[in-house]
Amino acid sequence: MIKEGHFGSAEAFCLMLVMLTTRVFYSSPLALIKDLGTAAWYGTLLSCAVSLIFFGLLYLLMKRFPNQDLYQVYETVTGKIISKLLILIFSFYFLYYAAINVREFTAILKAYSMPYTPVSILIFVFLLVVIAMTYVGLEGIVRVSYIFFYFIMCGLAMLLLLAIPAYDFNNLYPLFGYGLKETIKIGVLRSSAYDEIVILAIIINSIYGLKTFKRVGFYSLILAGLIISVTLACILAAFEYTAASEQLSGLFQLSRIIYYSRFFQRIEAIFLFIWVFASVITVSMAFYLAVSSYCRAFKIKNHRPLLFPFAALAFMVAFIPRNIGEVFEIHVHFLRQDSFSIMYLIPLLVLIFALILGKKGGKAIE
Amino acid sequence: MKKKQNTFSKIMALITYKKTNRPQTFVLPEMDEGQNDNGQKDSGEKQANKPKPEEQPQAGEKKKRKFPRKPLSASQVKSNRTDSDEVKNNIDSNLQVMKEQFDVPKNKDLILREFTLGGNRRAFLVYLDGMADKFIINNFILRPLFNEESLDSTQSGKSANILLENIVETNDAKKLISIKKVITEILKGNTALYLDGLDYILTCESMGYDKRAVEAPKTEAIVKGPQEAFSENLRTNVSLIRRIIRNKDLVTEFFEIGEKSNTTCAVIYLQDVINPAILTEVRRRLTTIKTDFLVSAGMLEQFIEDNPLSIIPTILSTERPDRTASHIFEGRVAIIMDGTPFSLIVPVTLNAMMHSPEDASLKWQYTTGLRLIRFCAFAIATLLPAFYIALTTFHREMIPTDFLIAIAKAKENVPFPTIVEVLLMELGFELIREAGVRIPGIIGNTLGIIGALILGEAAVAANIVSPILIIVVAATGLSNFAIPNYSLAFGVRISRFYFIIAGATLGFYGLALALMAYILMLVNLKSFGIPFMSILAPKNKRSRDAIIRWPVWMQESRPDFLNPLERDRQPEISRGWSQQDPNK
Amino acid sequence: MNRSSKIILIIILIFCLPLSGCYDAADVDEEVYAMAIGIDKGVDNAVRVTFQYPTYKDSPSSGGMKGGGGGQTETGEVDGTLVSTVEAPSLLEGVQMLNAAGNRQISLTHAKMLVFSEEFAREGVGKDVETVARYREARETMRVIVCKGKAQDFIMENKSLIGSNLAKGIELSFVQSQNTGYFPDVFFANFYSNMLTPYGQPYAIYAGVNDFQHLPENTQQDNQSPAPIEKDIQPGETPRKGGSKEELFGTAIFDGEKMVGSLTQNETRFFLLGIGKFKWGSFTTGDKNKPGYAYVLDVITARKPQVSAHFENGVPVIDLKVDLDADIAAIQSRIDYEKVENIKELESYTKDCFQEGMKKTIERTQKEYNCDIFHFGKKIAGNFKTIQELENYNWLKHYQEAKINVDVTVNIRRNGFFFGTRPFFSTRSGNQKEGNNQ
Repeated sequence: MIKEGHFGSAEAFCLMLVMLTTRVFYSSPLALIKDLGTAAWYGTLLSCAVSLIFFGLLYLLMKRFPNQDLYQVYETVTGKIISKLLILIFSFYFLYYAAINVREFTAILKAYSMPYTPVSILIFVFLLVVIAMTYVGLEGIVRVSYIFFYFIMCGLAMLLLLAIPAYDFNNLYPLFGYGLKETIKIGVLRSSAYDEIVILAIIINSIYGLKTFKRVGFYSLILAGLIISVTLACILAAFEYTAASEQLSGLFQLSRIIYYSRFFQRIEAIFLFIWVFASVITVSMAFYLAVSSYCRAFKIKNHRPLLFPFAALAFMVAFIPRNIGEVFEIHVHFLRQDSFSIMYLIPLLVLIFALILGKKGGKAIE
Repeated sequence: MKKKQNTFSKIMALITYKKTNRPQTFVLPEMDEGQNDNGQKDSGEKQANKPKPEEQPQAGEKKKRKFPRKPLSASQVKSNRTDSDEVKNNIDSNLQVMKEQFDVPKNKDLILREFTLGGNRRAFLVYLDGMADKFIINNFILRPLFNEESLDSTQSGKSANILLENIVETNDAKKLISIKKVITEILKGNTALYLDGLDYILTCESMGYDKRAVEAPKTEAIVKGPQEAFSENLRTNVSLIRRIIRNKDLVTEFFEIGEKSNTTCAVIYLQDVINPAILTEVRRRLTTIKTDFLVSAGMLEQFIEDNPLSIIPTILSTERPDRTASHIFEGRVAIIMDGTPFSLIVPVTLNAMMHSPEDASLKWQYTTGLRLIRFCAFAIATLLPAFYIALTTFHREMIPTDFLIAIAKAKENVPFPTIVEVLLMELGFELIREAGVRIPGIIGNTLGIIGALILGEAAVAANIVSPILIIVVAATGLSNFAIPNYSLAFGVRISRFYFIIAGATLGFYGLALALMAYILMLVNLKSFGIPFMSILAPKNKRSRDAIIRWPVWMQESRPDFLNPLERDRQPEISRGWSQQDPNK
Repeated sequence: MNRSSKIILIIILIFCLPLSGCYDAADVDEEVYAMAIGIDKGVDNAVRVTFQYPTYKDSPSSGGMKGGGGGQTETGEVDGTLVSTVEAPSLLEGVQMLNAAGNRQISLTHAKMLVFSEEFAREGVGKDVETVARYREARETMRVIVCKGKAQDFIMENKSLIGSNLAKGIELSFVQSQNTGYFPDVFFANFYSNMLTPYGQPYAIYAGVNDFQHLPENTQQDNQSPAPIEKDIQPGETPRKGGSKEELFGTAIFDGEKMVGSLTQNETRFFLLGIGKFKWGSFTTGDKNKPGYAYVLDVITARKPQVSAHFENGVPVIDLKVDLDADIAAIQSRIDYEKVENIKELESYTKDCFQEGMKKTIERTQKEYNCDIFHFGKKIAGNFKTIQELENYNWLKHYQEAKINVDVTVNIRRNGFFFGTRPFFSTRSGNQKEGNNQ
C-alpha cells in the first residue's frame, strides 16, 4: 500500500470544504438556478441534508468496521473479486471526475479570460501541476489545500461582500421557485453534488479514525451547504433568476459588476486566482484517488509510475465532450446530478450486504 | 539496425519507468494530535529512547547517492590504516609513525623535538609550528619535564600518572592511544608528548595562533541589541554563545569533518530542551559526511541540507551569537565550523528566515509591523514583475482605464514587448548588484545606487523601457533587499524569473498554477525533518512569534513543531509584579 | 547520458512553453481602448457604430484648441481621442471593419458608455444588447445612455474639457447622478437583467447634445425677475452656455427592448426617490407665504423606501413609503421657518410637494407608458408562490391597474449655518424688496 501519511482534522476539514465548494466557481449555480429558479438557494440545502443522511449511513458502515477504510470494508464484505471491481469503479469515476472538472474549468476559463489559447494547452499545463501535486502524495495535497483554503475562503467572502451594493434580496421571490415538487426532486437528485464526502471514508486511516471522520464529515458538509447556499442567494439577489440562468459562471459575473469608484472596480483577478487554486486542489485530490484506488485494486506499492499514464487518460477523457454544451448538459450534469448512484449507492449496498450477511469488522491491527 | 535498436532502447529508457531506490527521508516522529497538548514531554522522551527504524539501515546512503565516492587516495589509506593506529610502546616506532604521517623531512611545519629525561629516558615532543603557542611549550611543558628528576626508564608504570598529573603544567592534557586522534590534536595546535615505554601519547593543550578579534556584525547589523559577531575562531565562538547561555545543560559536541582538512565542527544545543531525534539526525548527517576538504559553513550547509534541489535555503546561517543563542533556547541545534564566522541553525522554518535579529529587542507592535512589511516585500520581490507582465499582456481589462492609457502612451515609442523590457531591466539590475559587490569599498555602494538611477533614466530616455517598468523593477529590487536572510534573498531572486516566465506565458492562469507548484514545493521542504512551512501547514499549535509577534512575556511556549522536551519557556503569569498590589 | 539528456529535455520543454502559450498575449499599446460605443440606425445596413478611443500621442491636440469644440471632423480627432463611425451588419463586425481600417485592434474592455440614439432605441435595442452581454470584452459596468439625435454626434461632443483625462471625465460625469438626481446611473448589467426580468422594466440615462441655443436673450425691458419654478426640461435644452455640450438629463423608459418614453429631470428625481437611489439634491420650492420667493432644501434619503404589495380583489395594491431628511439651504423670504412652531408647516408643505410629485411620476409611468421602472414587481412577486404563476400573471401587463399609495415623510433636520432668520434691514424696512441673495 502507498504510504499516505497522517494529517489532522483541521487539514481534512479544509480539504473537504474546498472540494465541496469548488463547484460554485463553475457552472453549478447556473444549473441550479436554471432548474430551481428562486428556490435554488435552499434547494442546495436540501441536497446537503440528503447528503447528511447518506453520510450518516456511511458512518454506520464505517463504524461497523473500525480501523478499516472503505476499500478494506468492501473487501471484507464482498470478497476479493467483487471488491476489486468496486474499487476500480471508484478509480475510474474519480478519473472521470477529475477530467470533466478540468474540462469544465478550461471551458469557462476560455470563455472569460483566454479565448484564443487552445484547450489542449490549458489542460496540459493544468495537468502538469496536478501531476506534481499527486507525485508528492496525499500529504502534499492536504497541506497545500490547508494553506490555500484561507485564500479561497477569504477571496470568496471578499467577492460576496464587495458585491453587496448590487444585491436586492427581493429577487428571491417568489419563494417556491418552479414549485416545491420540482425543488424537492432536483434537491434530492443533486445530493450527488455533495458526494465528494465519501472520499473521507477512503482516506479514513490518514485522519485518525472514526471520530475525526464523523466530525469532519458533518461539519464540512453543513458548512459547504451554507457557503453554496449563501453564494447562490447572492447571485440571485444580484442578477435575478432570469439573468442568472443565462450566465456561465454567476460568481465570475458577480466579480465583474463590482464597482465602487473609477479606480476600484473589476476585481476578476481575485476570482481568477482563487478559482484556479480551488480547481487544482479538487482535481489533484480526485486524480490522486483515481491513481491510488487503482493501486489499491492491484496492490501496487508505488503510485508514482502510474501518474503519467493516468494523466494521459485524463487528458483524453477531458476531450470526450465535443463542445461546451456536451460538457454541461451531459458530463457535468452526470457528476452533479447522477453520480450518487456510484458514490452513495455502492457503499449503501455494501452496508445492506454487511447487515444481511452479518459481517462485522473485528478489531483491526493497531 | 543495431544502432537503431540502440537509440530506440535509449528513447524507451527515457520514457519508461525505472525503479529508483529512494532513501528514506528523515521525518520527525509525529505525535498524536490529541496528545499534542498535554503529552508533549512524555512523548518527547519516549522518542528519545525509541530507536528510529528509518535511520539506521540507510545511514549515509543519501549522501553517497548525491556525491559518489571516489576511491580513497593514498594519504587517506595511510591515515586510516588500522595496524598503525595504535600507539606502540617503544619510542622508535612511534617516532617513525609520526614522521611517516607528517612527511617529516619534507614538511617544515612540524617540529619534532627529541630529548632525554632523567638521564636515560628518551622522549619526543611534536607540534605544528605556528599553530602552537611556543611560550606554553617552553614554560609549561618542557621546563617542568627537564626539571623533573624522577623520570628515568625504571619507573614506567608510575611515571604515567605523575607525568599527567604533576609535571605537565598545561590546563588540558589527554592520554590518547590512537595515532589518528593524536594527529588530529596536533593539527589543532596541541602538543603531543611521548615518553619511551608508555603505550599512549599525551597531548597537551598549547593552541595559540593568530586570530581576529570579536567585531561588530557586518551583514546583520542592527540598531538595538548586542553588537558582536562570530569570528573565525571556534573556541571564541563557542564562548560567545556560552556567555549568553550560562547553563550547565548547554552541550558542545565536536566533530571532525574533512578527511584532509580535518575541520572541527561544534554542535551546540541545550540538552534538556532539544528533541533528541533532531540531535541524532544532526549527528548522523555530520558523521557520515565523507569529503576531503571543508572550509566554510556554506560548504557544510550544502552537505547536510535536506533537499539540494530546493531554491529556498533550509538552513539558517547567522553571524550573531545572540541570535544563535535564542535559537538554541528554542530547541534548535547550532553548528559552528572552525574558520567560519557563521553558525548554522537547524531545523528552521520559513518564518525564522524572515525574522531579523532585532525583532525580539523591539516592542511587539513595531516588530509586527516590520514583519508584515517583510512578508509584503517577499511577495513583491517574487511576484511583482510577473504580475505586471500578466496584467499588461493578458488582463488589460483589469487595469484602471486612466492608468492603462498612461502605460500605453509611455510604451508607444518603446520597440520591445513587455517581457523583453522586464527581462532587460531585471538583467541590468542584477548586473549592477553583482558589480557593486566587486567594486571596492565605498565606490561600490555608490555605484549601485547611481548606476541604477542613471541606467533607468537613460533607458527611459532612449525609449528602451517604459518608465512604469523602472518603478516595478526598482520596487522589486528594493523589496529583495528587505528580506533579512541573504540566502533566502538569492532564492527569491531566482524564483522571480520562474514566475515571470509563468506570467508571460499564460497570464494569471499561469501565475496561479506556478504559485501552486511553488507552494507545493515549499510545503514539502523539510529542514531536518521539520516541514519548512510549519507556521502554516501542517497545522500545529499557533506560534506566538511567527508573523505577528506577541509581547515577549506572552510567548509562553517554544515552537510546537520542534517538539522540544521542555515545551514551556515561562509560566502563564511571567510578570509576577502584575498580579501584586503595588501599594501594600 | 541519462541525466544530461533529462536535463536537456526539461530545458527544451521550458523554452517551448512560452512558444506554446502567448496566444492571448498582446501588449498594451497594440490595442486601443474604446471608451464610448455609439449605436445608430443604419442607412444601408443594420447599424451604424461609433467608437471613441484615446490616441497615444504625447501631447493631445486639445492643448491648442481647448474649449474651441470642433476638432478635426475629417479624421474624427476629438480632444486627444479619435471618433470613428462605421456602418456594419452588426456591432462586432463594425469593430472588425474599423480594425482593418485603423492600425490597432479596438478593444471594448474599457468601454465606459453605450449610447443608443433615441430613434434606434425606439425600434428595439435587443439585438445589440445581446451581443454586448454575451461577448467577453464589453464590461458590465459601462453605462447605458439613450440620446436625442444621433449617437455619433453625441460622442463627438464627448470631451474632457476640464482635464486631459477623458476616462476620468466620463466616469465622473456619471457620479453627478448622485449629486443631482437629474438622471439615473444605469449599469449595463442592470439594464440587461432588467430586460429579462418579469419584476420590472429597464430604464436608461436620457441624454442630449446642447447647441447652446436655449438660453433665451432678454428682449423685454421688464425688470421684474420671474418667480422660481421647477421647470421640466428635455435633455439638450437646458438654458445654458459654455462647458461641455453633452448633457445627461432625465430617464429613458423601455418596455422590454423598446424605448417607449422618457421622464424629465424632475420626474427622474422622484423616480430615484422612489427606488431609493437618490443620494442628495437641492429642491427649490416657491414660498407659499411670499410669492416670488422660494426656499431651497437639501434633500437626502433618510432610509431605503419601504415598499409593500398585496392584492385586493385581484387588484394589486402597492404602498410606497419614502422617508426623507432635509436641510434648509436657503429661505429667500427670510421668514423664520426654523422655529419649532413653524417647521411643521414647512415640513407638511414640502411633504405635499414630494408626495404629489411622486404620485404624478408614478401615474405617468402607469398611464402613459405602463412601464414598471420602479420594480414594484419584486414585491408583487412575494404574493406568488411559484415562478410559473408569476410569469403567467405577467405583472408588467397589469402594472397600469395597480393602485399605488405614496406616503412621504419629510423631516427638516438642520438649518445650515443659521439658527434663526432675521429680515434684511434697509431704509424701506418692513417692506423690503432686496431678497435676491443665494
